[in-house]
Formats: sequence, structure tokens, C-alpha cells
Amino acid sequence: MPDINFYYLEKATLSNLKRIFNSSDFPFVRLSKFLDIDSVDYNPKLEREEKIGYYHREKGSAVLEEFWKSSEFIKFLGRITGLNPKFRSANHLNYSPGDYSLLHMDESEPNRLSVVYDFTKSWRLEWGGYDFYTSPDKEPLICNRDFGSLMIVKLEKGDLSCTRYVSLKSKDSTRIDFITYDLD
Amino acid sequence: MRKAEKVPQIVKHPFPHVIVRDFLDTATLDLVIDALAGLEYEFDESDLFSYLSFGLTDIDHPVINILRDDLGDNFWRKKVAEKFAVKSLSKIDMGAYVYGLGDFLLPHDDQVEGRIIAYSLHLTDIEITDKMGGALHVYEADKSGKSTLVKSIIPEYNSLIMFEVSNHSWHQVGEILEDIQRLTVTGWYHA
Repeated sequence: MPDINFYYLEKATLSNLKRIFNSSDFPFVRLSKFLDIDSVDYNPKLEREEKIGYYHREKGSAVLEEFWKSSEFIKFLGRITGLNPKFRSANHLNYSPGDYSLLHMDESEPNRLSVVYDFTKSWRLEWGGYDFYTSPDKEPLICNRDFGSLMIVKLEKGDLSCTRYVSLKSKDSTRIDFITYDLD
Repeated sequence: MRKAEKVPQIVKHPFPHVIVRDFLDTATLDLVIDALAGLEYEFDESDLFSYLSFGLTDIDHPVINILRDDLGDNFWRKKVAEKFAVKSLSKIDMGAYVYGLGDFLLPHDDQVEGRIIAYSLHLTDIEITDKMGGALHVYEADKSGKSTLVKSIIPEYNSLIMFEVSNHSWHQVGEILEDIQRLTVTGWYHA
């Protein structure tokens, strides 16, 4: 399994991250260079999936599935968020040019912790493909693509998220491990 | 004034739709284009779309009032209802939409209570080609939600596209890929 960047395991850092996590409408933190990514064998097996009006993308098992399930990582999540997350699912999602997901995909979701690890390389903002979080009574949150970063967001029932349409002009695909943890 | 007097034969697959070419006469068309060019459009975007828009349903403007009549007077509403074999149509709403480089409208079925027939009057006064983007893509979807592209309708100047709104009427506006402005007046005929 890959190692977490030692910086994120220091007591002072964890304390700061916990404070940051709880300071916005959407409790979140984004951790760049989160893992020693060179040790990861990136070779996802993907299948195209579509539900018109909801999503159009490729999906497979998460590249780091065992890591996302590990007690080490779940304990780390607990220390940063102050929550008690329970692993639900982990997938690898690939959004090629023309692919998308839409917000109402999330309409029946309960409280959850959403974790996105970014494998996307050489991305340009104008290609879209960013992650978007919104709710009627919260400031929307946009998370642009950034290779190697980990996004942790607490979403409540009624909060919605999606991956924005990827432009047909894009030269690459959005590649993410998308992990969901249930919350009490 | 409206030049078209008839609604052509409805195409049934994948859902009932039709294209009425040469919808407005030249004089009205020129006035409409000028009027639409003078509006202050607002940029609007969501997970589903990205475009500039301006609501036309309730504005009082001499040329827009003529256009509203041409699209929605008793004579034309009756023609549309008869051809689509739907119950009588009571009113229309309408808005102007401009799609520029990178804009799009992803697949959706248009279903909102009261909408019976969707329409889009194409007013881009250049010849749009496939590689420019902006075509109206028409899909057929199976029960699982997997779609098949049935046809791509490239917007023709002064053509009116209409289709029946249902849970089968999946369509999208393809991303604009070149520096053009795809202008339409779009809306719905209501029950």
C-alpha cells in the first residue's frame, strides 16, 4: 500500500486540518501530494456506464481500493474530520471528452463523507471536468483537477455533487478514485 | 410575419419531431435578428448547461410581440396540435439563447408539468457545419438509460424545430467547437 505523505501525519498538521475542515459551509480539506504516488501501479480496468440524464463515464474498481478500506486511512479520516466514517464503496471513474455526471444523481444520498483522489495529469481548466458540490443553502464548492491531491468533503442529505462535463477539446480524461464513507 | 403556413409530416422516431423551414418572412426575420441583438443576455451555467439567455415570455417589445404571435397565435397553435395529434395548446413561453465557444446543453427530456411541444427557432445567420458543433442531437434510450444517437440536426437559418415532450424526448445541444454564436428562440407550447 502507498504511504501517506509524512507531513500530514504530524500532530500540528492534523490539528490544523481539523480546524480547516470545520470552517466552511461544506466541511472539506484538500491535501496535495497526499501519497507517495510513484509506488502505485495505475492500471484500472474500466467499463463504460451510462444512465442518460445522470452520467456518462467509465467505471471500475478503485486503483487504491485496499488502501481506502484500510484501518490506517479510516483512522486518518477520523482524526481530520472528527467523524466516525464507515467505508461504503470505492470506484475508479474516468471522464473522457463528452462525459459528465449530473447533480440529481445524488438526490437520495444520506449523510456521507466523499473522498476523491486525483490521478488526472496535464489538465487545463477550460476542459471542465472539475468536481462540483452544491446545496440550496450553502456556498457552492468547486474542486479543480490536481494530480495527486486528495479531497475530503462532508456531504449531508440534500447536498449534491457531480463531475462537470468534459470538453470535446480535452486531450486527456479526468481520472479519479471516488470513495464514499457512511456517517452516523 | 410568418411565412410558413403548414407543419410538415411529423417524424415519429425516436420521438415525434418536425422541422419547419423558412418559418418567418425576410422582413420579419431581419427585424427579429436586430431586436435579439439589442438584448442584454445573462450568462447562465449549471451541471447541465452553459449559455447566454434572455427571457422573452413577458417582455413588451414591438418586434418580439410579433414573433410571439407568429410562434403562438391561435392559427399556428392549432396547426401544431393537429399535426402532433395532441390536445389543444393554450400558450407558449419563449426565451433567446446564445451558445458561444465551449457552451453546451447535456441530454435531458424537457419534462416539466404543462409542457407539450418544445420548439426552437434557429436564427444563426451563418451556415453551421458539423465540425462547428451546436447540433441538436436526438437520442433513443433503453430502460437502463443507455442511449443511442439517432440523428444530429444541424441548425438551419430560419428553421423551426418542434418535438413532443415525453419521457422519451432525450436530446442535447452539442458543445460549440468554433468561435460562432448559435442563436435560437426556444420555448414550449403548453397544455
